[in-house]
Amino acid sequence: MKINHHADDATIMAYAAGTVSEGFSLVLTAHMELCSHCRERMSLASDLGGELLSELEPAPMSQEGLSNVLSAIEADTLDPVTPFKSPSVSGEMASILSAYVPHGLDELPWQSLMPGVRQYQLAGIESGNGSVRLLSISPGIRIPHHTHLGGELTLVIEGAYEDEIGHFKAGDLADLDASCNHQPVAVGNRPCICLIATDDKLRFTGLLSRMVQPLIGI
Amino acid sequence: MLAVTKLFNKSENMAAIPVSDTRNWLRSVAERRDRHAFEQLYGYFAPKIKGYMLRQGADDASADDLAQETMVQIWRKANHYDPQKAAVSTWVFSVARNLQIDRMRKHKFYEVALNGDTSSNVENLQHNEQLEDCPDTDRLRKLIGELPEEQMDVVQLAFFEGLSHSEVSCRLSIPVGTVKSRLRLAFGKLKLGMGEQI
Ligand SMILES: [Zn+2]
Repeated sequence: MKINHHADDATIMAYAAGTVSEGFSLVLTAHMELCSHCRERMSLASDLGGELLSELEPAPMSQEGLSNVLSAIEADTLDPVTPFKSPSVSGEMASILSAYVPHGLDELPWQSLMPGVRQYQLAGIESGNGSVRLLSISPGIRIPHHTHLGGELTLVIEGAYEDEIGHFKAGDLADLDASCNHQPVAVGNRPCICLIATDDKLRFTGLLSRMVQPLIGI
Repeated sequence: MLAVTKLFNKSENMAAIPVSDTRNWLRSVAERRDRHAFEQLYGYFAPKIKGYMLRQGADDASADDLAQETMVQIWRKANHYDPQKAAVSTWVFSVARNLQIDRMRKHKFYEVALNGDTSSNVENLQHNEQLEDCPDTDRLRKLIGELPEEQMDVVQLAFFEGLSHSEVSCRLSIPVGTVKSRLRLAFGKLKLGMGEQI
């Protein structure tokens, strides 16, 4: 799979640092299962985290710390070598998503948003004030012009869309920040299905008044 | 409020412990459930992990508990570590980070498997006798040391204070776009210096 659109370096670093929402981590994982380019950058960002940890000034552990840990592992009856199972990638859908879409995209209880646009909200994923949803956009349908309160990650699962930035097809990730306005239109002969995470974690309510309410909550 | 304390300990007392030692200890833990080696790992990493938890906002007792818990996980998961893919510190960092997210932020964190063949990492450990630092940690350390202070501040706030881009922006009173561009600049230097075609 040739992937042309990737996560921003700043997003990769936030992912490695662990400061992204659960929803963002889901979309990034789904993209990276397919994308070695982002995986390589993620490795480097993780090495950076490890190196920073190595150079961190140590904080003395409590006196009972080591004995606590030793008695915890003493109680372990686990087999020392438990095989590590790496996730398998089936078809073109990232395996991480199969838990949320166990019976395929067609079987989801899609909800109509407007003519030609359906959505399915993934439940139980921490996203601050944002959300994680699947969007199905019929060919030729244009999503109304909108802006984002926070960032937005869009992973194309099936089909393709185009906007001011470019052409996005299965596997491509659009990594948009709050300042970005765009008007995606589904292209091709089948619906474009995207996984979209928004991440609005603004803590400063004074800013909210200046924000534009997104038209359909994307 | 603006103070970003220097986290780097320039006294170089860490240099006393080569990277290969931590890897040998971890290998002994993975292969032989070697408790002595585990105690060495504990002595080196537990206080750093505690320092990390403190920076993330845990109080002293919680940070101590979280560091202990991270060490227990290191014991249990030692065989998942693949020396050909990552430095020991990278792996330890990810275990500590994931525990911190679970216990302090209380949400799940999806993590992509960065290692290719993970069918049996213990074999990799055994077949990797003439251990060479796969990720060149010395080079990376040098590159990090050369980052300009304003970029380093942003990197540290993200990795240690656990701040999102907008929170870093607020802390330093700079626009979010500036936070991101400093992160990109810093990362660009690391990529270039590590010779990655990425
Ligand atoms: Zn990518």
